[in-house]
Amino acid sequence: MHVLTNAARRQFLRQAGAMSALMGAGAPVALNMAAIGSAAAQGASDYKAIVCLFLFGGNDAYNMVLPTDSASWSAYTATRNQAPDPISLLAPGVAANPGAVAASPARLGGVLPLSVANPQGRSFALHPLMNSVQSLFNVDRRVAILPNIGPLVRPTTKADYANSVFPKPLRLFSHNDQQNTWQALAPEGSTRGWGGRMADQLQALNGKPIFSAISAAGNSVWLSGEQVVQYQVSATGAVPLGVDTSGRVFGSATAGTILQRLASTARGSHPFEFDSAAVAGRAISAEQALRTALRPPSDAAFGTAPATGGYAQSNDPKLRYTNPVTGAVAYNGLAGQLQMVARLVDAGLSGATGARRQVFFVSMGGFDTHDLQNRNQADLLARLDHALKYFDTTLAALNARNQVTTFTASDFGRTFTSNGDGTDHGWGSHHLVMGGAVKGGDLYGNFPTLALKNANNNGFDGSPQLLSNGALLPGTSVDQLGYTLGSWFGLSPSQLGDIFPNLANFNASVRNLGFMLA
Amino acid sequence: MRHLHFRWQPAAPQRTLVATVTAGLVVTVLASCGGGNVGTAAPDSTSSTSAVDGRAMALSAGERTARDLPTSLVEARRFLTQATFGPDDDNLALLQRIGYSAWIDRQFAMTPGSFRLRWEQVDAALRAANPATGADVNDVVNAFWERALTGQDQLRLRVAYALSQIFVLSSVDGEVLAQPRALAAWLDMLNTDGLTTYRQVLESVARHPLMGRYLTHLRNQKEDTATGRVPDENFAREVMQLFSIGVARLNTDGTQVLVNGQAVETYTAADVTGLARVFTGWSFACPGYPSANCFNYGATGGADSQEDPDREFKPMVAYPAFHTQEAKTFLGVTVPQTGRVNPYGGLKVALDTLAEHPNVGPFIGKQLIQRLTNSNPSKTYVAAIAAVWANNGAGVRGDIKAVVKAILTHPEAMQPLRSSAKLREPVLRLSAFLRAFPHSSDTGLYRVGITDDPSSQLGQTPLRAPSVFNFYRPGYVLPNSQSASVGMVAPEAQLLSESSVTGWVNYMVDNLYNGVGGYNTTLGGVNFNRRDLQRSWRDEMALSDNPRSLVDAVVDKLLYSQSATALRSQVTDAVASITVPPLASDGSNAAVVDAARRDRVYTALLLTLASTEFLIQK
Repeated sequence: MHVLTNAARRQFLRQAGAMSALMGAGAPVALNMAAIGSAAAQGASDYKAIVCLFLFGGNDAYNMVLPTDSASWSAYTATRNQAPDPISLLAPGVAANPGAVAASPARLGGVLPLSVANPQGRSFALHPLMNSVQSLFNVDRRVAILPNIGPLVRPTTKADYANSVFPKPLRLFSHNDQQNTWQALAPEGSTRGWGGRMADQLQALNGKPIFSAISAAGNSVWLSGEQVVQYQVSATGAVPLGVDTSGRVFGSATAGTILQRLASTARGSHPFEFDSAAVAGRAISAEQALRTALRPPSDAAFGTAPATGGYAQSNDPKLRYTNPVTGAVAYNGLAGQLQMVARLVDAGLSGATGARRQVFFVSMGGFDTHDLQNRNQADLLARLDHALKYFDTTLAALNARNQVTTFTASDFGRTFTSNGDGTDHGWGSHHLVMGGAVKGGDLYGNFPTLALKNANNNGFDGSPQLLSNGALLPGTSVDQLGYTLGSWFGLSPSQLGDIFPNLANFNASVRNLGFMLA
Repeated sequence: MRHLHFRWQPAAPQRTLVATVTAGLVVTVLASCGGGNVGTAAPDSTSSTSAVDGRAMALSAGERTARDLPTSLVEARRFLTQATFGPDDDNLALLQRIGYSAWIDRQFAMTPGSFRLRWEQVDAALRAANPATGADVNDVVNAFWERALTGQDQLRLRVAYALSQIFVLSSVDGEVLAQPRALAAWLDMLNTDGLTTYRQVLESVARHPLMGRYLTHLRNQKEDTATGRVPDENFAREVMQLFSIGVARLNTDGTQVLVNGQAVETYTAADVTGLARVFTGWSFACPGYPSANCFNYGATGGADSQEDPDREFKPMVAYPAFHTQEAKTFLGVTVPQTGRVNPYGGLKVALDTLAEHPNVGPFIGKQLIQRLTNSNPSKTYVAAIAAVWANNGAGVRGDIKAVVKAILTHPEAMQPLRSSAKLREPVLRLSAFLRAFPHSSDTGLYRVGITDDPSSQLGQTPLRAPSVFNFYRPGYVLPNSQSASVGMVAPEAQLLSESSVTGWVNYMVDNLYNGVGGYNTTLGGVNFNRRDLQRSWRDEMALSDNPRSLVDAVVDKLLYSQSATALRSQVTDAVASITVPPLASDGSNAAVVDAARRDRVYTALLLTLASTEFLIQK
């Protein structure tokens, strides 16, 4: 639980945030500027956005980015080729067998080779269904890979990990706690995410602070700052609360006005009443602002205008993908969320929302593949691949590729070991960064060594990164990812040091991972 | 579990019942809602104490001595808001006559109906009409609503619903979605075992095949040291983190034990690995038990393969060949390595160890308080419940009836503190509305259906949490909020967003205009062409010429007769803004007059349902 050491200050900040959300850029700018200090970005006149794409459940990155040099490959195959349902993908070049079980490694065919600029003396490939990402990495060079990244307090070795008093992230391997740690640098209960805290520093650049931190995927602590309150929008946009386009409910404009007033003000004194009213108040004011700011989803930049009838995301060919398990073409909800983000980016670029620095959150669930991993992860990665391609293409149509950087995140990686048809909770994982400002086609961070279990069957002695349960000890910290993105966003080292206090434990030369163009 | 966090995923869409449905279905279905069948209990027909039938209100000797009557209508309505799916006139009258203790005891004594049998009945009717169709998960949800809205055993189901948010199993998961009959049986289990002991519930949960599918310990195999395969740890982890002891050691008042200012973790990764071994070798009940085919496929295999038709809900059985012989060490106990495996013995040790752990009372007890009465119970309240958990007065630990009674009758529930409050979750908002203003169901099925979409529906459906972490976490703190600034948690606020507050109001506009739930075209040759749940609103329309009387009637029913002076006055202004023209002497404008009266009723209802007074239960 969030414990208040300085309740009065927090309250002041909260009210300041609420006030600025309601009043726009006018009065609170001075206040925000005072709070900002020396924002390196204060003079910026450009537009930039960071998109967090969260893979809920813990993606098995061992089967997303694979080292294919012979030593790695033999350890991988031996470890993951387990009955009854082997999850070991096949080597590059193996032809898909259309007669094999749906989504089985044989049916998918071999993994897709990557052309890595600095391959660390090894070779790499992607899951067989990530052909768009392969192309974005190999050809377009707009995707980079962050190998073995995860939460760390400080650089940590296997010996450090075995030391019970060495500082480590709390509640490793627990879904909710590690989701929170990725997003807010502490287990469940922390309420300040690093996306929101970046937005705190930069929201003064935005005409309407309410559009500083936006989720198209429900509640996300990553977006919550000290002052910045996340705005949650549905993938189809905002609609008026209770009233028609003329502000009436049941035919009465007076009733419409009173309805919105009753929902957005508290007459009682309980904090819950104020909190509930505040959300409704934001819903009403944000919808009013977005009503004219957003281009429709059927616009050719984002979607496909239907030949007849009204637009529905679920029918838009651009937002549909092929399910690799069933072969059916179906709506991809992640692409739908990214369509909403693209429309908001467009409204930022055009000046319609007055936004110049925005953080967005989108997500997909289902990655907790304890069983049926072949089938379930295949579908998920097919959707991820399709959605990233859609977003890259859409941003190109908006001429916004260089201004928007997307990164993947997840609860944790999974275990190297197999339980027969799936994997368990791990720690470090491989992640993707995408954008025109990304120095793509390369790895940023050491790719871990894969090895076999020792003779006692109780450890992976041949790997400095594989812990005894097959989880990866991260070599790169989430804080370094945040620092690198934050630097690109325009935040100063001292501002980033406040947001990521554990960075002080890392050598200054490695804090910026170097995957962003200056 | 497969995680899907706070995003709407379309499930099987609810059928539109169309003309192809034969009279047979309608007859079966309509007849089934008349009472006496398993799905819909006859009103209090087992005793002569019904407030419904007006017969004598005989009180037993025990009830006479324990009369603890509500001191006001406000208090009675508040209690029924906590103990039922919403106050209704019958229970208000009964409660005011017999008092809290007797009301609770009578609720506990009612025999539950079976959701599975109800689902089978619907399935059979659908198949009789069209062999290509059948009941699905919507029908489980509808059976829940039918019972929540019309069933007499309110408290039992309210507790089962609370337990369904602790022992989470969700049809958002494709494997659960595919087993609607077993899901109905799961709800039966919560509804029956839910009023026994915690230890009993824990065992039923651990051995339920649908939980085995959801948390993947069904068909979980022992390790293979030659190849390096390891047991699945999913259920072992979540049964500790979520279903029993939680991650941090607790004092009996629910606060964390601190050592040098730090929380103390209740288990380590090694405990998870040790406990995971207990949950190896479990699979379906099967006529060919304990063959490998039965373990792997739940069927005997071969040309005339046989399976147990109830395997998806009969308790899982242990297959010794697939259960590990390794020693199982967890939470300070060890099930030793032996030559002969004993999966049931290991399970007993594991479940006993969990159920006896001192965390369980404060951990689960506090969550039951949060589900029923108050998001932020005082330490005193939690400690009182933990004490009842430890011993119900007769030496029984984890007696859920005693715990529930203690929660509902604690002074903090009945005379709330200034801090006491709970955000009404969307499902309980809709149920309170539909019980205060009962609707009829054209099919008798109460086809409310799946309501997952937060932007146009409830953003919540019973038994469809996004993940095993439920719709919300018991310790959720709303960022940048007043409640956070005073140290309050706000679990249900995890569902609160700009999108969902708008969705709730717009959903209710739609429900008021059109009725609630799935659309029926033709039933048994009769054209309906309307939503399944309907109400005429004639009683309320009769009040509409006097806006204040109308508003008082609505507000009293929805807000426990709180004074709510400012609210009443503003809603009255809104209602009065709708002009009701005088009825022409020839009645020629009757339709216009009717429509205006209807709009007044809808306005009074909508504005109250959208108000913070309704959304926050104090």
